[in-house]
Amino acid sequence: MTLTIGKFTPFNTIIHRLDARVKLIGLIIFLVATFLNYGNGYMNLVINGGILVIIIFLSIISKTSFLKLFKSLKAMWMMILLLLILNIFLPSSSTGDFFFIGEVKIYYRTIINVSFILLRLIIVLGETNIFTSTTKPMDMTYALEWLFTPLKWIKVPIHKFSMTISLALRFIPTLAEESERIMKAQASRGVDYKQGKFKDKIKAIISLIIPLFISSLTTSSELTDAMEARGYNPDGKRSRYKLQKWSLKDTIGTLILAIILTAMIILAVYQFDLFAHLGVSLPKL
Amino acid sequence: MPIKIEYLYHIYDEGLPSQQVALQDINFIFEDHCFTALIGQTGSGKSTLIQHLNGLLIPTSGKIDINSYLIDISLVYKEKKGQKIIDQKAMKKKRKAKLKDIKTLRKKVGIVFQFPEYQLFEDTVIKDVSYGPKNFGLSDDEVLEASKHALDLVGIDKSYYDRTPFALSGGEKRRVAIAGIIAMKPDVLVLDEPTVGLDANGEEKLLNLIENIHKSGTSIILATHNMDVVLKYCQQAIVLDKGKIVKQSTPLELFQDQEFLTHSSLVPPKVFSFALKLKAHGLDIDLSKIKDVDSLASEIMKAKR
Repeated sequence: MTLTIGKFTPFNTIIHRLDARVKLIGLIIFLVATFLNYGNGYMNLVINGGILVIIIFLSIISKTSFLKLFKSLKAMWMMILLLLILNIFLPSSSTGDFFFIGEVKIYYRTIINVSFILLRLIIVLGETNIFTSTTKPMDMTYALEWLFTPLKWIKVPIHKFSMTISLALRFIPTLAEESERIMKAQASRGVDYKQGKFKDKIKAIISLIIPLFISSLTTSSELTDAMEARGYNPDGKRSRYKLQKWSLKDTIGTLILAIILTAMIILAVYQFDLFAHLGVSLPKL
Repeated sequence: MPIKIEYLYHIYDEGLPSQQVALQDINFIFEDHCFTALIGQTGSGKSTLIQHLNGLLIPTSGKIDINSYLIDISLVYKEKKGQKIIDQKAMKKKRKAKLKDIKTLRKKVGIVFQFPEYQLFEDTVIKDVSYGPKNFGLSDDEVLEASKHALDLVGIDKSYYDRTPFALSGGEKRRVAIAGIIAMKPDVLVLDEPTVGLDANGEEKLLNLIENIHKSGTSIILATHNMDVVLKYCQQAIVLDKGKIVKQSTPLELFQDQEFLTHSSLVPPKVFSFALKLKAHGLDIDLSKIKDVDSLASEIMKAKR
């Protein structure tokens, strides 16, 4: 499989050992911090840059490859190009300096805006990548279930949802294995999934999808039988095989996250301008 | 069509904690017109080895020569601080390089995977069997002829041609799927445990079919757990253990090597053990003629006379 971004890699680093709930909250805090508005462009740049440094640092200690992320995101570059073109022809604000390329009027602001979107996109991808590649899918669902506990009080059947999610996640590797097996079998019959005319490619995909569909239907009906045979009751009280243990490092992690969140919110609310305090005057951005 | 394998290594997930050496130092030649059994427990590397034979997997290092179709990932060295070390980058590049004319290779070596009925997808039996040969660019008439011939071989008659493969019984599905590979007319037919999940009758039919295909000039490589099958049909046996070839011999030699058998927890066929006991007790029988119950009986009769 070529898609390896965000796939869980079983290293044993401190980030991997951290409680999934801490990591989930951390992810949310970092996402919020990335998209808060800190007054002016320079402050946004400084803080987003800071977050990027933290993300790279975390990537290194959790052994997730940050650089690989870019290489495998060819589709993203297309999107950025589209974004740039759209922004050039439909500028969000027609003020400030500009220059011409041929007949097209380009504002410096546009370029800066697009770079900002790009920076934030990279940060968001990096953050999510760290979370998904250090957290087992099962732990992820537990963390999500825990996060949604308040909904239980208003009688939302959280555990049904979480069971659905866990089952879906559980069967991703099974389906991946199955599809690889079918692809190999069909490749042995002369199917080429990579080359050939468009029509041939469609036909090739059909030869994968139909067997996959049939086998997943079989698997799911077998699974329901197996669950019923073992007395699964969707309304019953659930217990857990693996309990998540809260340890000292989780407390420390939570504290650090809390400090980061508070700092970011204070910065955003008071629109603290570092450069003005330092007495540096910069051109308006 | 000989298949030459030299110094073949295959490592899954290289460099990750889940790294696993699936095959190591495999050197073997599958001779022309052979009937070879691949024996080994689950996880011994049989399936991995099989997938190398038509380029579905590329070796981590090593060389495979399939009738002059060459997959060459032999080691590349470079100098570093006066020492000769393996140039990992160059190796990676070699592994990633696209194989030319992969279809010609796939046509030469037909692989029937475990539970091949999963590969069925067309709406009629005849269409599904035709899919392989069509992909290899035969004309419509040739395709139809090859498919009919293959279905004939596996014992699926005309009345089935226009039925949907999904409504067939398990054994029939399996035979249709195997016909799909036979219709490609490969020079080497590789089967990965083809009889798993079939009843005794279906198993025997299938094995006879494989033998007939062998007689018509196709090399057969058969991965199996069933020692009776090895004794009855195969000319040669390879035993794999933890990714290494631990023994290669004729079935006769294999089942006589008591020490090896107990060591590798293989159980020889009952027929053969019985014959060995008879011989030990002084009955003069020719062990090389023992293939199954019938041949054992006739050997006993001969010795008695």
